[in-house]
Amino acid sequence: MLKSWKLKEVVLVSVLSVVFAVVYLLFVHIGNLWAGLIGPIAYEWIFGIWFIVSIISAYIIRKPGAAFISEVMAATIEMLIGNAIGPRIILVGIVQGLGAEAVFAMTGYRRYELWVLMLAGFGSAVTSFVYTYFMSGFAMLEPGYVATMFGLRAVSGMVIAGIGGKLLSDLLLKTGSLRGYAISRSGNVHG
Amino acid sequence: MSLHDMNPTVKFLTLTFVMFGLALFYNPWTQLVIVVGTVLIQWMATNVSWKRWLLFLIPFLITALGTFWTTLVFGKDLGGETLVTILSQEVTIEERDVAIALSLRVLAFTVLSLLFMLTTDSKRFVMSLMQQAKLSPTIAYSALVGFRFIPLLKRELQQLQYAHRLRGVPLDTRWERLRHVPKLLLPLLAGSIRRAERVAFSMEARGFTGGKRTIYDRVEVKSSDFIWSGVFFALFGFAIWAGI
Repeated sequence: MLKSWKLKEVVLVSVLSVVFAVVYLLFVHIGNLWAGLIGPIAYEWIFGIWFIVSIISAYIIRKPGAAFISEVMAATIEMLIGNAIGPRIILVGIVQGLGAEAVFAMTGYRRYELWVLMLAGFGSAVTSFVYTYFMSGFAMLEPGYVATMFGLRAVSGMVIAGIGGKLLSDLLLKTGSLRGYAISRSGNVHG
Repeated sequence: MSLHDMNPTVKFLTLTFVMFGLALFYNPWTQLVIVVGTVLIQWMATNVSWKRWLLFLIPFLITALGTFWTTLVFGKDLGGETLVTILSQEVTIEERDVAIALSLRVLAFTVLSLLFMLTTDSKRFVMSLMQQAKLSPTIAYSALVGFRFIPLLKRELQQLQYAHRLRGVPLDTRWERLRHVPKLLLPLLAGSIRRAERVAFSMEARGFTGGKRTIYDRVEVKSSDFIWSGVFFALFGFAIWAGI
């Protein structure tokens, strides 16, 4: 999978993962405080945050594996800098990364329009929800409540990760720091 | 035979196995045995700072509490004798047990995770993944580059704050600085991306390729690693038995 990657692309993914690992951890704590008050549903509407590095990496590098590797790396770093979800978070990263990666794979790694990015965010929402359903014992909750949780997570994945990820990457593109990467060769540069 | 010396990959796999196994059980006793057992192991075989441990644990105590009451209120109707009525919701003994089990599970996951985090050195973990789990050296060393960026990012964030303050952004109270952080994300990222590119070039200039390499910093699998695995599996077995 890494054969077609340049070293600078791997390092870029790693650095993005570090930055977003910190952001992720910050939101875990925000989510935790919320969750104490209103229960696990607190995480759902901000869940898209935790998919964003997949979308940004894939959108910038446009190579197979970008969505998956970045998410797994961010999760691993998050664990090592202090997320007490621990080793489990790497599995969460794998699961979330696979969801986004599958969507990019379905387009043959050729389409990176907004709807594809939103669909990738949705993909992560689906796979991660299946995982949480199993791990948090959602089978013991009322189906209606579980459905609401899933709906919130799906919308969050599409809006925060999909739209948010694209906006942030486009802003970065304008700073000129992404000149050496696939995103700047896509004819996607507007003003 | 401290837990700090256990091979990180073996430790990771062992604890992950136990956590996944735990997800199959809804009995409070199973979860409780794991929580108590893990804390006992930590007490006997590590020199983890309990103050740090507690600091990391607190947010998850809150989560456990949240899980407890949402399972009570939004939990599936399991039937049985009514115990109490909260918010016009009838809570039976079975429902209470499930709520206790789910919130204890949050705690069980947390103590296991903290045990791993507080007894594992990041660099050694990455090196072990490369040597035992066949992680690609390109990814391993890039990840280590990423770690080196953490202090740099901190410094850069501070510089950006100074720069913004010079231009008249009010950043005097802690709250103002915190609220301004999202606005610093973009310049921080742009700077890091440029630096990442330079680091990659200099790695290549020094002859780094992702190919075959010799290893100086060896992380080995010892027989004591399997003894430790055995201890955790035994604890898990005992926890299942306690739940029956």
